Amino acid sequence: MGRYVLRRLLQMIPVFVGATLLIFLMVNVMGDPIAGLCGERQCDPATAAQLRRDFGLDQPVWQQYLTYMGNVFTGDFGTAFNGQPVTELMATAFPVTIRLTVVAILFEIVIGITLGVLTGLRRGRPVDTTVLILTLVVISVPTFVTGLLLQLLLGVEWGWIKPSVSPAADFGELIVPGLVLASVSLAYVTRLTRTTLAENRRSDYVRTAIAKGLPRRRVVGRHLLRNSLIPVVTFIGADIGALMGGAIVTERIFNIHGVGYQLYQGILRQNTQTVVGFVTVLVLVFLVANLLVDLLYAVLDPRIRYA
Amino acid sequence: MPEQPQQPEGAIAGTGAGGAMDLAASEATALERGPGGYGGRGGQDKPRSLWSDAWRDLRRSPVFLASSVVILFLVVISVWPSLITSGNPLQCDLAKAQDGSQPGHPFGFDGQGCDVYTRTVYGARASVTVGVCATLGVALLGSVLGGLAGFFGGAWDGFLSRMTDIFFAIPVVLGGLVLLSVVTSNTVWPVIGFMVLLGWPQIARIARGSVITARQNDYVQAARSLGASPARILLRHIAPNAVAPVIVVATIALGTYIALEATLSYLGVGLKPPSVSWGIDISAASPYVRNAPHALLWPSGALAITVLAFIMLGDAVRDALDPKLR
Amino acid sequence: MLLEVHDLHVEFGTRDGVAHAVNGVSYRVDAGETLAVLGESGSGKSVTAQAVMGILDTPPGRITGGRVLFQGRDLLRLKEEERRRVRGAEMAMIFQDSLSALNPVLTVGDQLGEMFTVHRGMSRRDARLRAVELMDRVRIPAAAQRVGDYPHQFSGGMRQRIMIAMALALEPALVIADEPTTALDVTVQAQVMDLLAELQREYRMGLVLITHDLGVVADVADRIAVMYAGRIVETAPVHDLYKAPAHPYTRGLLDSIPRLDLKGRELYAIQGMPPSLTRVPPGCAFHPRCPLARDVCRTDVPPLQAVQGPGAEEGERASACHFWRECLHG
Repeated sequence: MGRYVLRRLLQMIPVFVGATLLIFLMVNVMGDPIAGLCGERQCDPATAAQLRRDFGLDQPVWQQYLTYMGNVFTGDFGTAFNGQPVTELMATAFPVTIRLTVVAILFEIVIGITLGVLTGLRRGRPVDTTVLILTLVVISVPTFVTGLLLQLLLGVEWGWIKPSVSPAADFGELIVPGLVLASVSLAYVTRLTRTTLAENRRSDYVRTAIAKGLPRRRVVGRHLLRNSLIPVVTFIGADIGALMGGAIVTERIFNIHGVGYQLYQGILRQNTQTVVGFVTVLVLVFLVANLLVDLLYAVLDPRIRYA
Repeated sequence: MPEQPQQPEGAIAGTGAGGAMDLAASEATALERGPGGYGGRGGQDKPRSLWSDAWRDLRRSPVFLASSVVILFLVVISVWPSLITSGNPLQCDLAKAQDGSQPGHPFGFDGQGCDVYTRTVYGARASVTVGVCATLGVALLGSVLGGLAGFFGGAWDGFLSRMTDIFFAIPVVLGGLVLLSVVTSNTVWPVIGFMVLLGWPQIARIARGSVITARQNDYVQAARSLGASPARILLRHIAPNAVAPVIVVATIALGTYIALEATLSYLGVGLKPPSVSWGIDISAASPYVRNAPHALLWPSGALAITVLAFIMLGDAVRDALDPKLR
Repeated sequence: MLLEVHDLHVEFGTRDGVAHAVNGVSYRVDAGETLAVLGESGSGKSVTAQAVMGILDTPPGRITGGRVLFQGRDLLRLKEEERRRVRGAEMAMIFQDSLSALNPVLTVGDQLGEMFTVHRGMSRRDARLRAVELMDRVRIPAAAQRVGDYPHQFSGGMRQRIMIAMALALEPALVIADEPTTALDVTVQAQVMDLLAELQREYRMGLVLITHDLGVVADVADRIAVMYAGRIVETAPVHDLYKAPAHPYTRGLLDSIPRLDLKGRELYAIQGMPPSLTRVPPGCAFHPRCPLARDVCRTDVPPLQAVQGPGAEEGERASACHFWRECLHG
């Protein structure tokens, strides 16, 4: 196990470097790294040239990347467009997005798995067909449309929620945005649960359990669900990284000042350090989440052994 | 690395744990599959392949038929939008801004006073073009790269696997924002190029997996032992069997690319005005949604139906091609 | 009488129409007796067993007629909850493929102990002790250490012993073993079969042994029922049947066993293929493959009729062939 973790950590390094380098190059091609460093104004040419030298921007890109990464590992993520250190932005933005992600994951677990179990056990019945069509609709309607519609209905027409989230962004305010963020994954979780459940329902060990004279509740709960939820749990785990990175649209709709908001601002203002800094952290979250999911898999399924 | 449900629909990967069908059903199907005729000497049944079986199922599937009709309609109006509208999507009259439905303008007017019906019809072109071209590019690039990696293995395979890992680690919308925010071009090509760039690893992974599965089949081993060349084995024996999962995933992906185009346009980095796209219209309509919800709802509805049609099509094709789910 | 299946009919809805998997099967098993049900795959032997156990998948399966009398009660008329209490406790089943029939993510101790906690209301601790005893009983080495292992950590033979232990846990009156040794290596087959036979004698259980292997049958069975296309075509005490089969299908099966004394000759094989259950031939289902077939076979379904023959007492043998006499003496 320890060896496996070590090997996986080593494997993460090239992926991490590759992904951050890719983003670094993309941002460098697109942006002006010193934009914003003079505040809201444009820098005058002399200052700009001075800044470029100071920041090493006259050096080749790969050297800039190394310097940047070196700084990152000492905790220096650079300066954002408004003159704040990027780390300060992160300190305010990440807690918000993490709360949003937690709400979304809870929705996936509670609603997604419940619906999946309900439909998986009643394949072909009206409930099943209805939920199945609903999931297709949810998958088909892009998140930003779902978000705008829910905002229009719940926020503007019916006044159940405030259309935009306050800077504090506590859990209560994040329920609807969390549902929007979760919506597509929620539908996938439902379908995945349904599929694996329906597949395993015909499996030999479930038949054995019935032949043993176990009550239906025990056959389903202990034998069928225990096996069927393994892929679902791993899907949800792997989704954590994707949700945090995909929160841009949701955060923009509900005006949530989280990671996506800061990234969007950074991209609009062409601030390299904000964008690369946030993406670096997101990539790291994604990789660690995936590693944890793989380890979780071994815990859930005794047949998997890591060498 | 253990198997991971990268593809949310576990059914496609097809690594169900239990695997074995129940005896009763398998006994029944074993017979059903046997040659026809009473004593079995006849064998007059037409040969049944995966494809002819799938086609037979598809023709009977209402989901397939309905989504095909919708898609056909979308393709036709994206080529000849003038068939169902005589208006010009760029001819707007600010005096009519946010007005509701009127004779000749069933969907009303948007914030710029443009006819929402005409713009919604013309918006299909961008979506269909992006969806189809991006899917073709992704499927071609992904299956060639993934297929070769699966077939030859070795260093190329290792390199490719790391590459797909890298691309998977970058959130798609984020990558689109970064990459497309510098593009000033007003055509669909940068958007398509971006989708191919970030989309190919998904197909590559599927193609690689199914080529590896097909390569281990007994008949492939047999062909190899009979001295067939690698090219012949790949094209004649492996490709036909590996292509089904790619088709399924690509069809479903087509729908998601259309949604992605709209999302990027909504964020202001996909297509830009004066291009006509549902994403642009939805984005433009959102600030004054309280006064003119119709300007938001019609393009949203069109977008949702389009994506739904492609995803349903993919779903129907998957059901037909995956006998395990029957 | 322990078990009496009477005129059982089972159908399956398939894409090609209704498959008649079981068409009026009747058989009886006494306490302590072993009945071998012999047939090719698709003959309906497993489906019959599943209907008896009450584990048929419905749909697509459907029991359309007949009775299953178990210790005098018609199981098909019981409520599901009463039926459940019979399963596992009074009649149990051993499956063919122990790797897929055991739950991969639960320890064998959990799966064995479950019998005691559910049916006997034992505590988990006591159930675990009983699980170890059972594993000892089926001669699994170091049972106490291995009780916490998962199925995939055992060899095929050991796993099948665990299946047997699970079936015998509550000392049921009847055990149905569906091809219990087919998935095993030949050397292990005999050991597992011997264990099963020994435990059966000890507990005086009725045993229904479903198999397609005539070799297995000869050693352990008292009587044989041969099935073809969802019907029983011949029943007989095992030695009578081997000596002189009264149905051409049985004769064909016996003739296709490789024999050392006939080494070098071409092996006999029944010509043709088993019929599709959606299109069972009219008349005798075996007629397209039968060397004795005549016109009457193509039109009239032969009833299962008593056979008087050498060594057969009255009512012990029956054959569903119009020309059983010819077969018996030919």
